[in-house]
Amino acid sequence: MNKSRVLLAGIIFVGIFGFVSGGFAADLYPSRPLSMVVPFPPGGVADLTARPLAVSLEPHLKQPVAVVNKPGAGGAVGMQFAAVSKPDGYTVLCALSSISVMPEVDSLFGRPQTYKTTDFVPIALLNADPTVLVVRKEAPWNSVADLVADAKKRPNEIKYSSSGVYGTLHVAMAMFTHAAGIQMRHIPTAGGGPALTALLGGHVDAFAVGPSVVASQLKAGTVKVLACWGAKRLASLPNIPTFIELGYPEVEFYIWAGLFAPKATPPEVVKILREATKKAANSAEFKTAMDNLNTPVYYLDGPDFQQFWDKDAARLIKAIRAIGKVQ
Amino acid sequence: MAETLQNLLLGFSTALTLSNLFYAFAGCLIGTMVGVLPGVGPLAGISLLLPTTFGLNPTAGLILLCGVYYGAMYGGSTTSILMRIPGEAASVMTCIDGYAMAQKGRAGPALSIAAIGSYAAGTLSVVGLMFMAPPLARAALSFGPPEYFSLLVLGLLVLGYMTGGSIVKNMAMILLGLLFGMIGIDHMTGYFRFSYGVVALGDGIGVVPVAVGLFGIAEILATAGNPVRPEVMKPKLKDLLPSRQEFRDSLLPIGRGTVLGFLIGIIPGSAHIISTFVAYAVERRVSRHPEKFGKGTIEGVAGPESANNAASCGALVPMLALGVPTGPIPAVLLAALMVHGITPGPLFIKEQPQIFWGLIASMYVGNVVLLLLNLPLVGIFVNFLRIPYRVLYPTILMFCVVGVYAVNSSFVDVGIMSVMGLLGYILRKFDFETAPIVLGVVLASIFEMSLRQSLAMSNGKYSIFFQRPISAVFLAGALILLVIALLPLIRKGIDYGWRRELTEAEKGK
Repeated sequence: MNKSRVLLAGIIFVGIFGFVSGGFAADLYPSRPLSMVVPFPPGGVADLTARPLAVSLEPHLKQPVAVVNKPGAGGAVGMQFAAVSKPDGYTVLCALSSISVMPEVDSLFGRPQTYKTTDFVPIALLNADPTVLVVRKEAPWNSVADLVADAKKRPNEIKYSSSGVYGTLHVAMAMFTHAAGIQMRHIPTAGGGPALTALLGGHVDAFAVGPSVVASQLKAGTVKVLACWGAKRLASLPNIPTFIELGYPEVEFYIWAGLFAPKATPPEVVKILREATKKAANSAEFKTAMDNLNTPVYYLDGPDFQQFWDKDAARLIKAIRAIGKVQ
Repeated sequence: MAETLQNLLLGFSTALTLSNLFYAFAGCLIGTMVGVLPGVGPLAGISLLLPTTFGLNPTAGLILLCGVYYGAMYGGSTTSILMRIPGEAASVMTCIDGYAMAQKGRAGPALSIAAIGSYAAGTLSVVGLMFMAPPLARAALSFGPPEYFSLLVLGLLVLGYMTGGSIVKNMAMILLGLLFGMIGIDHMTGYFRFSYGVVALGDGIGVVPVAVGLFGIAEILATAGNPVRPEVMKPKLKDLLPSRQEFRDSLLPIGRGTVLGFLIGIIPGSAHIISTFVAYAVERRVSRHPEKFGKGTIEGVAGPESANNAASCGALVPMLALGVPTGPIPAVLLAALMVHGITPGPLFIKEQPQIFWGLIASMYVGNVVLLLLNLPLVGIFVNFLRIPYRVLYPTILMFCVVGVYAVNSSFVDVGIMSVMGLLGYILRKFDFETAPIVLGVVLASIFEMSLRQSLAMSNGKYSIFFQRPISAVFLAGALILLVIALLPLIRKGIDYGWRRELTEAEKGK
């Protein structure tokens, strides 16, 4: 009884105070539209995650959220832009796992880092899909064991395509070949689409890719899936074993998308962003949008996401160092 | 056949519903505007519109976005012809003869032929898409890196051989373009090349700022430097439509441009730009008066403009038939479908007939809409030439800057455009043709990537280019062309050269 009265008084007080102060002070975050930077061109995973998220965030932040595509240099341009933007909570970044890779590649080549992972504070993880190992239906291998045995017989003969050197699909594959102690020949292409084209055209023998990209090919029977990089099997591919099951405990890789803010963003603003994102990510409309893309929502709040991110980054950095400088 | 007709009927019943008709019209209208604005090309236009289609049903969304795509190919020719500013990168070749025609007071016919050629090419290639998509798509997939490389070797030789003017100057310009194309991340190793610490140069310099700079900005600079105020052209109404002779001269170029454009469009990559260069070179080669090219001949407009429309249709073939996005534009269209839970794949045509056939039918409708939209616009556009230069050119300059910025929200691109404008101005003063630079920039990354991918596939053995049959045929063709070109040098006095006749004809006039 008493408690609720205090609460009521509080609400009225805050309401009046907010009403009075709202006129001259813009300190009640958010008081103007936000921009969500996507460091990739429209149509990719990051863009297709960011757009429905932006729509779902608006009712909770009570402000419009505009998606801004800043593509370039594999995402480095947009991520650097977000890293140095004003840390006032009005600029957020929707980035992929490659956010951990870029600084490491920069150090590998001895050039100044375009940004650091510590430039960002994580707000939420939105989805995390393990990649799957795909071969053509004509391929002689029906299991990872077949592939590894064949690759050991003829090292550096079996070819795989990727989305680009040190790109997502390259790092995943390198993780596997390194753990299995085999050598396969890497053919980088200009993106996920061309990598798929190279496989379907028979110019390469295998590649690693997100399950949503090959879903329709799999249905038509043009490709086979041998294994999955996740910690557990995919719901959509229950018969496909994980690398961990197959005896490669270190082979775990996810294509994930998360929301970040610049490091110096005030904690109370980050808190508002986290709470709004929690509601938005668990809303029915966002879930439907993600299910349509065959990329189910996998939500983690800031601190949990930080743990996930640290573990993931450690795996990626290890893989990058194993690849080394490509000559 | 009967089945196809039945499917088409289903398609038309989808496309001709009032709402879908509206989206086709809206797409075509927006596409035309996107094409007219310098800098903003079909990719930027579709990307900007993509979010608005999330609320539509998938068929309507795809119809709208495809309308923007082929609508931009119609609109791109407008500023090329009137002001020598490519509305989008695939209209660079149209600048040359289109603008020359406009200076002779024949802007109306050039615009009309561009629209009619685009219509014919668009409609004919939809027929191709309808009947031959699955087998063509499979053929396109067999085009791997070695085939691509050999095709480009042949293509560059053909272009060098067939384009007019000094061959040394042309080759120098192609090389300059190829060198510009080297800027950016080396896709095979991850090294930054010639980026001087500018992260935004990591992706290299784009075709759009280069094309708008070299043509648009350079033209504006050149006009400003003219001591005599250029005469404002006032076209009369009867000059708006092409003459009977111009019609007859355009017929075959439109046909050739369509076939070439469609076939080149299917091949993965930025094919619609390449197709215009090839179409222009071919028209010049088969023409009985090649010396007139570059001075305002209708074939030089009809060929490339038909080719880019046919190519834009061809590029949809692998995406619709196999679910493989072979270029950035099909990739965005694919994303538009995926948002609705539809992933085109090998079974797409069978499983989603109303979407596939609805799209096909809407493309027939859209092309008619575009023709009806563009022909009356010719009269309006031509009137832009009446606007005094002191008003018109600053406005265009503003559109160039805004358009180029909008593509990647990047100021670096605006800087590249400015530098290219200055370079284009200087090169024009020294009588260099700047179109080959654009070609070089387009081809550089594909050329290099396909060579190095091929060598990675063969573990460094160059024999891969001769072992694969398609690639070997292209290289043999290149060799024959080289021999034909070099023979007159070896056996002096014997004239094998079409080029020599051309050079003499150019001297003689």
